[in-house]
Parts: sequence; structure tokens; C-alpha cells
Amino acid sequence: MSGSASLLPSGFEALEPFVAGWAIAGTANRAHRRSDSNEADRLAFYDAARALAPAALELLDRKSLAVFDEREERLMNLMLSLAHVALAVESQGPDEARHTQSRQHMKITQTTADRSS
Amino acid sequence: MNVQVGGIQSETGEMERALGTDPIPASPYFDPAYFELEREAVFRQGWLQIGHMAELREPGSFIVRPVEAAGASILIVHGKDGKLRAFHNVCTHRGTELVAEEEGKAARFTCRYHAWTFGLDGSLQSAPDFEQFYVDKADCALPSVHVDVCAGLIFINLAEGPVEGLCDWLGPLAERLESLPVARATTFTEYVYEIDANWKLAYDNFQENYHLRFIHSRSGAAAVGSDNPFGYPARYSFHDPHRTQTIWSNPNAAPTPVQAFAFGKGFQFAAADGFGANPHAKDYFALFPNFFLFGSPTQHFSHVVMPLSAERSRGVFRFYWIGDDDSASKRFAREYAVATGRDIHAEDRTVIEAGQRGLACGALKAIHFQANEVLCRHFFHQVDSRVQAYRETLGSPGATA
Repeated sequence: MSGSASLLPSGFEALEPFVAGWAIAGTANRAHRRSDSNEADRLAFYDAARALAPAALELLDRKSLAVFDEREERLMNLMLSLAHVALAVESQGPDEARHTQSRQHMKITQTTADRSS
Repeated sequence: MNVQVGGIQSETGEMERALGTDPIPASPYFDPAYFELEREAVFRQGWLQIGHMAELREPGSFIVRPVEAAGASILIVHGKDGKLRAFHNVCTHRGTELVAEEEGKAARFTCRYHAWTFGLDGSLQSAPDFEQFYVDKADCALPSVHVDVCAGLIFINLAEGPVEGLCDWLGPLAERLESLPVARATTFTEYVYEIDANWKLAYDNFQENYHLRFIHSRSGAAAVGSDNPFGYPARYSFHDPHRTQTIWSNPNAAPTPVQAFAFGKGFQFAAADGFGANPHAKDYFALFPNFFLFGSPTQHFSHVVMPLSAERSRGVFRFYWIGDDDSASKRFAREYAVATGRDIHAEDRTVIEAGQRGLACGALKAIHFQANEVLCRHFFHQVDSRVQAYRETLGSPGATA
């Protein structure tokens, strides 16, 4: 197994290139990452992550969140980033840049995802 | 459900007739003098939603919440005896704000200034060299505030003396609220905004759907359709001083791929919690004066609009959940639901500020509400009747334009 392949559970090698940019802890950080991205960046991640989302959650659902290893935690955070990026790609489209300006005023203060499980 | 497109379908129609069709004066939406009257007539009277029992699960837990509109800081405590109590967050020695933390767990509260120490029941337990004072400890308890709970939601009432009970205040809505997920919620997700807008202008935006197709043309595509091009609610109801609407959604709207995936999971979890067929899932509650709750079990959010001044407000959105995230799919579904709500609400904030700038210039003496903005009209009448009644008690002129 190569070094890069070990970043995620087996079967999700296609998402390896996105780990550094999108496997982010914290809901507010993920929302900010979306706002800090460009369209090409978003589309590339969205296409790869959406295709693997059902398989990823099916795999992750087999374990308790509290006992995820590092690779599973990264995959979880990639899926959570997909939740944000999908809105940019599927809903906002060409309005995303303008929408980002409005969104920055909605401060995320606490989420269930940020609490330890 | 039949929708009267371009018209309204309230339960009786009597309220619409009672409210009339006249223009509404513009100045209450920016005038500092009017806001000062609202502080007394609205926010220092009546029940205000301020928290949820999920924040006070254990005896000894407490929260401190500002109520800027009333110039107050409120300490709410879950006592060791299981009783919920609320106090003004002020030491009875010389008024120092007692608790600095926003939340926590304590056995007692000690003022940092001179170490006066209060029990969770608000009684003064000890004070250094108290023999030098000219007052009894029994007369130095924290000033209490009326507090009560409905559906897990904590309400306070800052009025002095006896007040109408919370259940009476909520009327038949109390039972409906108790049937919603919020009544069983154990946790929540929160996002907060501040806005340069009068609290009523901000609040109004969230109780009329006339703007949906223009402001939420992308994020709210499922809220309108050829049968209902403005996405008007299916029904309005009035429960003075509160009001509700039943949201209409386009049955033919095609969800986007990730939206279908995420909401599909959300519905599964809601069904597992017993909310698969909630009759109030599309009910949108507007509790006087500044609280909203949407009945949807997958997007079960509340929204409080707290005035900070005549032209500035703070909004707090909370998505209530039953149980912590206990699976990857549940965590994903919740993250998506919250991100979706935040996207939509961000769009509202921007246009509300534009409205405030326009009103505050004073060019308009009146604004206009159409038939499907009747909830805004009802809201204004509820506020203004209290302001005018309070103004009469002052015996001073200066009525609304």
C-alpha cells in the first residue's frame, strides 16, 4: 500500500487527491473552505465525492463515530465537506461568489458534528 | 390541500377583515423613540423564548443570556431540587453583574467584587463581614424572573408581579408545540447573525413568502411552482398574539442529487424518532414577539430576532435534534440540513438590510402589506396596540404617524 493510498479506507483511492483540501474538521471550517474555493476546485471535488458518497457512508455507518481511525475520520470529513460544496454546485451555481458574501455573516457557533461522539 | 393562489385561506377570514387594508406607518421600523416604547411595552412584558432544556440537563447547570431589548442579563438555573429558576444576573449588594460565564455548572454563585455568595435558589448564603450591613440576608436574594417551559423551550417574563401563565399565553399552540421534535430535543446546532435592521423588519421577512421567488430563486426552487408561483402558504391561522402558517411546497419539484440523498437520510432518522408522519411538519409557528419555529422534523429550526437598538438586531437560528450524532449518515444528514438553512437565511439577511436603509432615510411615511403579507400586518397591530396602550399610561403625546 502506498503512502498516499493509506490516507483513506480501501476503495476510496479516488478521493485521495482531495484529502489535503477538503478533509476538514469543524463545521464552520468546512463552510469557510467552501467560501474560499473556486469553481473548478468545487466541481472536481463534488464529482468525485458525490459518486462515492453512498459507499462511503455505508462503510462508515458500520462503526461508531467514536472509534473511527484516522482514515475513517478523513473520509467522514470529506463527506461533510460534500454537504457544503453540493449546495454551491447544485443550487447556487453561478451565484456562488455573490452568495459567499451573504453567507459570511451567518456565524456557526456550535454543531452536533463538532461535539465528540 | 387546496391553495388559493394569489389569495389567502385563513381558518376564518375574520382576522383579515379586522386588520383592514390600510397602509402601515413606516416610522415604527426605524424611529428610536418608538423603539424605547417597545422596550417597555413588548420586551418587559410578556413571555420571551430564551433557551432550551437541552442546555440545562443536569442539576447545577446554568445559562446566562442577554436580553438587550430590556437591558437585562438573565441567569437561568437548574436547581438541585430539579426546579428551574431565573434571576436577574445582578449581585444584590451593589448591582455588579454576578455570573460572567455564558453557561456552566455550579454549586453556588460568588460575586467577584465583594464575594457575596448565592445559592442555586437565589438566596444569599454568605457575605463577608455582613454584620456591618443594615439589611437581613433574607432580603438580599437575587431578583427573580418568571420562567416556565413548554416543549422543552424556556420562556421568561420580565414583568414584575403576577403574570399570565405560559400555557395561557400560548393557548392551543402549547399542545401543538409539545407534539414536535423540539419537545424531545437533547441537542442543537446554532448559527447567529447580526443585522443593521429593525427587529420587526427582520422578523417580517420570515413570515411572508412573497419574496421567495425573487430572493431564493436558486435555494428555494421547491417553494414555488406553476400552481403557486409565489409560494404562498396553504393556510394562515391567528392565535392572538401569535400566528401560524402552513408552508406549501411544490410536489413536482425534482431534488438535486445530494439533496435527495441527504434529505432521504434525514427523513429516515425522523421516522425512526416517530416523526415520519407529523401533522405539523409544515407548520411555521410565529410566537409573539420574536420567536419562530418550523415544524419540519428534518429542518426543525427556531429563529429568535432580538432587538439591539432601533436599527440593529441579532438573529439566532437553532436546529433541534433528538440525540447526538450516532452514525456517519446522521451526521451527514444534519450537516446538510443546517448548511441548506444557512444558505437560505443568508440571502434574507442581505435584502433586509437594504430595506432598512430605504426606510431609515424617511422618504416613506407608510409601507404596504398585500393580502398574503397578512401575518406582517397582524404582527404590527400586535406590537402597536401594546405600544399605544403603554404610551397612554405615560400620558404623553407623540402618537404614531
